[in-house]
Amino acid sequence: MMRTAETMQRVKDIILIAALTLLIAAVLVLACGASPAEAMQLFIQGIFRNRQSVAEIFVKACPLILTGVGCAVAFQAGFFNIGAEGQFYLGALVGTAVSLSLPLQGPVNILLALVCGFLAGGLLALIAALLKSTFNISEIIVTIMLNYIVINFLGYAVRTFLKDPEGNVPQSAKIDPASQLLPIITSTRFHAGILIAIIAALIMWFLMSRTTIGYELKAVGFNQRAAQVGGISVAKNIIRCAFLSGGLAGIAGVIEVIAIQKKLLEGISASCGYTAVLIALIAGNHPLGALIAALIYATVQVGTGSMQRQLGVPNAIVNILIGAVVLLILGRKLLHLETYGFLKRKKEAK
Amino acid sequence: MSQLFTLSFFTAFLAAAVRLAVPLIYAGLGETIAEKAGVINIGMEGVMLDGAFFSFAGAWYSGSLAVGLLCGIAGGVLMSVLHGVICIVLAQDQTVSGLAINMFALGLTSFLFKLMSQGQSYQQVETFETYAIPGLSKIPLIGAAFFEKDILCYLLYILLILFTIFYKRTDLGLSHIAVGEAPHAAESAGIPVHLFQWTALLVNGVLGGIGGAYLVLVQLGVFTENMISGRGYIALAAVILGRHMPLGMFAAALLFGLANALQIRLQTIGVSVSPYLLAILPYAMTLLAMLGAAGRSSRPESLGKPYVRGSR
Repeated sequence: MMRTAETMQRVKDIILIAALTLLIAAVLVLACGASPAEAMQLFIQGIFRNRQSVAEIFVKACPLILTGVGCAVAFQAGFFNIGAEGQFYLGALVGTAVSLSLPLQGPVNILLALVCGFLAGGLLALIAALLKSTFNISEIIVTIMLNYIVINFLGYAVRTFLKDPEGNVPQSAKIDPASQLLPIITSTRFHAGILIAIIAALIMWFLMSRTTIGYELKAVGFNQRAAQVGGISVAKNIIRCAFLSGGLAGIAGVIEVIAIQKKLLEGISASCGYTAVLIALIAGNHPLGALIAALIYATVQVGTGSMQRQLGVPNAIVNILIGAVVLLILGRKLLHLETYGFLKRKKEAK
Repeated sequence: MSQLFTLSFFTAFLAAAVRLAVPLIYAGLGETIAEKAGVINIGMEGVMLDGAFFSFAGAWYSGSLAVGLLCGIAGGVLMSVLHGVICIVLAQDQTVSGLAINMFALGLTSFLFKLMSQGQSYQQVETFETYAIPGLSKIPLIGAAFFEKDILCYLLYILLILFTIFYKRTDLGLSHIAVGEAPHAAESAGIPVHLFQWTALLVNGVLGGIGGAYLVLVQLGVFTENMISGRGYIALAAVILGRHMPLGMFAAALLFGLANALQIRLQTIGVSVSPYLLAILPYAMTLLAMLGAAGRSSRPESLGKPYVRGSR
C-alpha cells in the first residue's frame, strides 16, 4: 500500500513539475515578445520537420548521454565530479593527437583513439579522486579548476603542436576520412558513436544494478562510514567511479571530434560537461534515467533551435529550464499541500 | 628581464593583484559567513553572476551607480534565498542545490542579457571613481595598491575587520559559530538555528552580489555572458585556505590575485610563453594551495548537513 501511495505521489510530482516548466517556458517566450502558441508550433515543427531533424536529436544527445551517465555513476558513489567538461576536452585532445599521429588509418585507428580518450578523461578525474581520498580535498573545486586548466591547454594546443600546418586558424588538421565515425543512416548525421553512447549507458546500468562493483559504489555513496565498517574500501570505490566517469566523458570528446567536427577546435563541448551534471541530477543518478533525460534535453534543444531562428527567442532558455527543473525537483515538497501545516490545521478545524 | 624588478613594476603589480582580488574577497567573506553557520553555498558562482548582471542592468537603465549596486545586491540575494528555501526550509542536499543554482543563474543572466542587447551594442556603464586616502596612499609599494581605491574596496576593509571582531569577540559571533559546529547543542542553548542560518545566507547573497557587481561597476563597466568564469569556485577555495576566518580568507584571495596579476603582467611585457599557458597559472595555483593546506581542516563540524529541528 505504502508503495502505491509513494508512486502516485511521484507521478503527481512529475506531472506538476512538467506543467510548471511549460508555464515558465511560456512566460519566457512572452518576455521575448513572441506568442507561446506560435513558439510551441515552431518547437514541434523543428523537431519533426524531417529525418535530419530527428537524427539531430541523437547527434546532440550523444555527448550528453556519455557525460550524463558518467556523472550519474560518480554521483551515486558520492563523488561530485563537476569535471566532465575538462575530461571531455582532454579526451578530445588526446584522441585527436592519437588519430593524427598514427600512420595506420581505419577501424584500428578509431579504436585506439577511443581507448586513449577514455584513459585521458579517466586519469584526469583520477587526480581529483586521489586528492579526495587521500587528503579529503573537495573534488568539486579540484574538478572545476582542472576544467579551466584543460580548456586553456587546449587553446594552447590548437595554436601550437596540434595546429593544422596548412591553415591559419586555431584548429587541428582534419581527421583522415578512413578514421572518422561515419553516419550509419544515409543523408543524416546519425553516426556510429551514438550507438556507443547507448551501449555505454546500458553497460553502466548493468554494472550499477546487477554487479557487486555497482553495489559497493552505491554503498559508499549511501553511507561512507557504514560501507567502511562493512569492509568496503571507500578510497578504492571513489577512484573506481571517478575513472569510469571521467573515461566516459573522454570518449564523448573523441566521438565529437571523429564523428561530428572531424577536427579539434575550441568550444566543441558546447558546455555539455556542465549540462551533464544537471542531467544526472534530474535522472536521480540512474544511468538509464540519464539516457532518457539526455534525449529529452536534446529534443528540447533541437526544438528551441528552430524557435531561435524563427522567433528570436534566445536558446539560453534551455539552460534556464533545466536549472529550474532541478530546483523544482529539490523543492517539490513545496508543491505538496501537506507541507503547509497551517492549511491542514484549518481543514481539520472545519 | 630587468624591467621585472623595478619598484614601479612591483607597485603596479601589487595594485593589479589587489584589484583582481577584491571580488574574490567579497564573495569569500560572504561564503565564510554562510559556512560558519553550517550552510555551504556552492552556488556562489551563480550569486556573483546574478550580482554582475543585475548591477549592469540597473546601472544601464537608471544611469545611477547606486541603483546598479542595489540591483546587484538584490540579484545576489535572490539566488541565496532560493538556496535557503531548498536547504534550510526543505533540508535538501546543499551541494546539489548550489550546482543547480549556478546553472540556473547562467541561463537566466544569458537569456536576459540577450533580450536586453537585442539590436543595440552596449557601451560601458560609468564606473566608481577612486579616492586616494591622504597620507596612507603615499606609502611606497603598498600605498597605491591598497589606499588608492574605490569606495567599495574601503567598505570591504571595514567589513573584514568588523567580521573578524564579530567572530572573535562577540557573543553573537560565537553563537553563529556554534550553529555551524553543533546545531542541536546550539538549539538546546536557546539559539534559533534556522534564523541564524537565514541571516548568514542573506549576508552571503549581499556580499556575493557585491562581489559580482564589483567586476561590472568598478572594473569593466560591461557585462558579458558567464563573466564570473570560476571566480565563485576560487572564492570557495579561498575560504578553505583561509581556514574559515575572514582575515585568512583575505590573505588566500590576495594570493590568487597575485597569481592572476602575475600572468597578466607577464603577458603585457611580452614573455615568450603562450598566453593560454599563462592563463592556467591562477587555477593551477589554487590546486597547489589546496594541496598545501590539506589535512589541516577547519571545516565547521556540521557544514553541509541540513538541520531539522527535533531530529537527532
